[in-house]
Amino acid sequence: MRTCGAQLNQRSSSYPGQKVLWSWWLAVWFAFVIVVILAATGAPAFGRQATAPPAAQTNSIASVTCVIGLEDIKTDAKGTLSLLPTGLEFATEKKKTGIATASITDIFVGNQSRQDVSGAGGTVIKMGIPYGGGRLVSLFSHKVEVLTVEYEDSNGGFHGAIFVLPQGQATSFKNQLVAQGAKVSTHVESSTVEEQKP
Amino acid sequence: MKCVTRTTFSLIFAIAASSAVFLVASSLLAQPGPREDAAQKLSASAIQVERTDPPEGLVIPEDFRVSTYENVILQLEKTKKFQHVYRSGDRTAANVSDLVILRLIPQAFKEGSQKKREVSTVSGSTRIKVKVQFTTRDGRVLLEKDLEGKVRFYGENLRATYDFSKKVAAVVNDSF
Repeated sequence: MRTCGAQLNQRSSSYPGQKVLWSWWLAVWFAFVIVVILAATGAPAFGRQATAPPAAQTNSIASVTCVIGLEDIKTDAKGTLSLLPTGLEFATEKKKTGIATASITDIFVGNQSRQDVSGAGGTVIKMGIPYGGGRLVSLFSHKVEVLTVEYEDSNGGFHGAIFVLPQGQATSFKNQLVAQGAKVSTHVESSTVEEQKP
Repeated sequence: MKCVTRTTFSLIFAIAASSAVFLVASSLLAQPGPREDAAQKLSASAIQVERTDPPEGLVIPEDFRVSTYENVILQLEKTKKFQHVYRSGDRTAANVSDLVILRLIPQAFKEGSQKKREVSTVSGSTRIKVKVQFTTRDGRVLLEKDLEGKVRFYGENLRATYDFSKKVAAVVNDSF
């Protein structure tokens, strides 16, 4: 009997298909556990649509990303975007800068989507998941609005600042700025994805 | 036996030494002479970056245009080739005698998808192709190049503009 059992064990451990199957299950479970942990921490919002009312007259929005374009603010800085009676103000933990309403020459609002797990850390996590499990995580994204504000400095130099806001907030900001007297031109909306050539 | 070892050693040493001499000589011969383009390097104390103005029929989202413009200014400042990098419309640039004007003329644009890129790794790339023109104040073209910014795998779509601006900086480093 003992001999038979030993033979069975040997047979099951040497069965290659079972090993591969076991590895696949392990990879799937690993990816699942990471997704659950990330969702539970609430840092990324998986596939979340904006729950805030779109036309809310908010004067200040936290965790806005300033992609580029503000003096003394680093690229991709996170901070709070506030609407003051004089214009926009963006404040990080260390610095604060603003755009006067009178200096604004145009405002654009666009839609984009952002990965829920992104950045250097997120990329490492995705790459660390075996059997391409990171691609599963890449499927989760959320929509954001991009607010582009064009303005002039005191010498007439053209500047452009790009902010990434939660969905529905950028339009509200734009409307409030226009009500304050910011200039806006008529825009051509671009929604094409195919390569364009003139 | 000792004699054989000594002979073998001296033979190997001779082969190695002659190979080394041959390699050094051939590499010295292969060195290019003084670069011709080094003499043709442009010089200017200041540069003014004009706004990206796409030709009619080519629609580029404003965030891409602004990001291209701002990234180019940031990268030009990093090169330290110019005493001042002026923005489009800056009135103080009027006083600079040897001002070079950088015009960015978009040629083609394809907006991809970050999700597609990361899931498939073969599709969803974002590309922006721009003609870069360095001109004098009176419009004489000093240098013209077609450069492409792209993001293929990881990163947001706007990263294509960063990639493009790095290439502009490389051109400036080579030409100024």
